[in-house]
This record gives sequence, structure tokens and C-alpha cells, in this order.
Amino acid sequence: MLSFRRYASTSRSLPSEMYTNPLHSGEPAVSTTPTSITAAQRNALDAALRIDQAGEIAANWIYHGQHFVLGRDPHTGPLIQEMWDQEKKHLLVMDKLQLQHRIRPTILTEVAKVAGFGLGAVTALMGKEAAMACTEAVETVIGEHYDDQLREMESLPHDHPSVPLLKDVVREFRDDELEHLDTAVENYSQRAPAHALLSSVIGAGCKVAIELCKRV
Amino acid sequence: MSTRSRLLQHAIPLIKTHGFTREALARSVLVLPSPEAHPEPLSETAISALFGHGDLARRTLIRAWLDGGVQKIQAAPPGSTMKQVLRARLELNEPVLQHLPEAFALLASPNSGLPPLDPRPAFQHATKVADEACYATGDASLQLAWFARRASLAAIYSTAELHQLTSPKTAYAFLDSLLDSSSSLKSTLDEVNLFSSYFVKSWAGILKSSGVF
Repeated sequence: MLSFRRYASTSRSLPSEMYTNPLHSGEPAVSTTPTSITAAQRNALDAALRIDQAGEIAANWIYHGQHFVLGRDPHTGPLIQEMWDQEKKHLLVMDKLQLQHRIRPTILTEVAKVAGFGLGAVTALMGKEAAMACTEAVETVIGEHYDDQLREMESLPHDHPSVPLLKDVVREFRDDELEHLDTAVENYSQRAPAHALLSSVIGAGCKVAIELCKRV
Repeated sequence: MSTRSRLLQHAIPLIKTHGFTREALARSVLVLPSPEAHPEPLSETAISALFGHGDLARRTLIRAWLDGGVQKIQAAPPGSTMKQVLRARLELNEPVLQHLPEAFALLASPNSGLPPLDPRPAFQHATKVADEACYATGDASLQLAWFARRASLAAIYSTAELHQLTSPKTAYAFLDSLLDSSSSLKSTLDEVNLFSSYFVKSWAGILKSSGVF
């Protein structure tokens, strides 16, 4: 897994570049959505991308909250900034996917922002280790969630160019999130006070948020 | 295309003369291209079998006509503005305008009788028009703005359509004025939002520089 993650993060041409590079903006893979899919597949795609977008919004605001408190720390500040920059790119791509596939966003985006910022700031106030424990818990759930989605996406027809690209993008983002998880563990997330309790509470909160965003 | 869909397509031009009625559906077979055209209209039994009993068949015809309106929006030429798209949709109402109040009343009356009025079909019609118009004009609203844009357009379109029922000639100018007012309101709100973000950022900077964090 680790070797694949390294490959994915260092490869010259990442799948998400299809969305971030304006040269590709007119290509069918990034500008059209499959029309021959069943209503059930469409609903599954809608729910999946709605959750992903909301997740990226929340992640952005978690890092925003952490950076607000720990931004001036010479070691942790740049670390958080680096992960935050990656989440900004993820959100940019998710926004483009929302428009491409005509997805209704969740109505809870403002809640996700406030809750994300609050979670990030509070855990950062508890200390660097608690902030990293928060990252570890969130990225664990998100990584698992992306994995589940990749399995669900197997049912989508592969003859439309957007589908293989979508899978590659989700795979890339999953690997990025798992890298953040590694970074958190390497930076002593497990030394946070009440680490197990903190992880359980944050993980459960993320799972509730996923279910809510799937529906509304 | 199934026989049912084909007959619905052929019944739509008959709405102008026969309204959203079972009669229009019955006569759809008369205008089929030869040699498929029937010499006699469909029997009541055939209409019920194909489109549903009683008013259900009329509802099916209304929905098919509304779907035709959606397709018209989807076929808008690239680069169309919101005004052009919504005007074109209002134009589609014109030939059947006299039958529309009854059609909307039928859609709003629930099958079971309770509750006395069901606003969902009207809401769905307006939101569908708004959503398709946004897509046709390349609207790139995200997050909460996605909802705000569609809600405001649905309200504008519904109001203009209601206006059209009573005053068809002034409906287009009324639609334009509503869209213009909405644009100026949006730009005002955007400015307030921008000012608020500067205000929040200033306080965040003051808090940080005070050494609290």
C-alpha cells in the first residue's frame, strides 16, 4: 500500500490534473456525465459525490481551524499548511465534479464549515498531539469511505470516459488522505491525551456526518 | 420509443385545441404517420390501459407536456442567457395558456383527497425549470449559492408564469424586471458578504497578534 501511495503522490501526471489543468477543460472526461446509467446508479453517484464534496469542505475547515491556532508553530504550522493545501486542491476538483455530474450539494455545507473549524481549533488548543489525533481519526474514516466508494463505482459503466477518471481521482484522493494519516501518526498523534476516546468520538462524528450528507 | 411515449408526443400538439383531456389522448392515434394512423380515436378502455384511469391519464399528459418544456430548455443554444432561456420556456405556455389553470389545479389536487391541496407538483415544476435553466446557461454556483440561485429562479419563474396566466402580453417584461431585481439584490448581498469577510479576517488578525493563540 505504502509503495503505491508514494507512486500516486509522486507520479508526474496525477488524475486530478485533468481538472486542475485548464488545457483539459473541454475534454468529454471532465465535461460530460454518463446518461445511460440507471436511476439507482445515478442516485449512488449523486450521494457519493455529495458526501465527498462535503467531506472536503469540512477537511478544509478543520485544517483552517488547526492552522488558526497552530499556524505559528515552526514545526506543526507548515505541516498543517501542506495538508491544507492538498485539501484545497481536493475541494477544487470536487466542485468541478459537482458541476460536471450535476450533483445537488448538501444543504449542510455551512454546518460542515462551522463544525470543521470548531473541531480543528478545539483539538489544536488541546495541543499538537491532539490536533494530529484529530487528523488521524478524520483521515482514517475518509480513507475507508473512499475505499468503499471505489468498490461501489465498479457497478458504473466504464464505456463513458468520465467514469474511469472519477475512479482514478477518488483513488488519488484516498492515497492523499492516507498520507495525511501517516503524517499524523509520525507526528505523535497517539500521544494525545485520551487518544482512544478522542479518535472514537471524532470517527463516530464523521460517520454520522457522512450519513447526513448522503441524505440532505 | 414505446407506443405510449409516441402517442403522448402526438397528443401534445392537440392540447391547444382539446386541452389536457382524454380526448387529446384519444385523438393522438389519428395523427400518427401513415400507415400507422388509425381511422378512429382510441377507445376509453385503451386510454385507461395506456395512460391510467380517469384523471390519471390527464395527469400523464400534463407531465409529458411539462417534460417537453424541460427538453426545450435543454435544447437552448450554447451561450444563451437566463432571460432568453426563461422567456423561451414562457413562450411554450402561450398556445395552451387557456388550459393551464385547469392543468395546474389538477396537478395540485391530490389523488386521495387529503390534504386538500398538494403544492409539491407546482414546486417540482418550478425547481425543475430553474435547475435546467441553470444548467443550460452554464451556471457554476456551488454550495449554499447553488440552492439560493435555484430557489430565487424558481420563485421568479413561478411568479412570471402566474402573471402570464392573467396578463400574457406583459409577462415577458415582468420576467425581465424580476431577473434584473434579483441580479441587483445578489450584487448587494455579495458586497455585504465581502465586507463581512474582511471584518472577520481583521478580527482574526487582531486576535492572533494579541498573542492569545
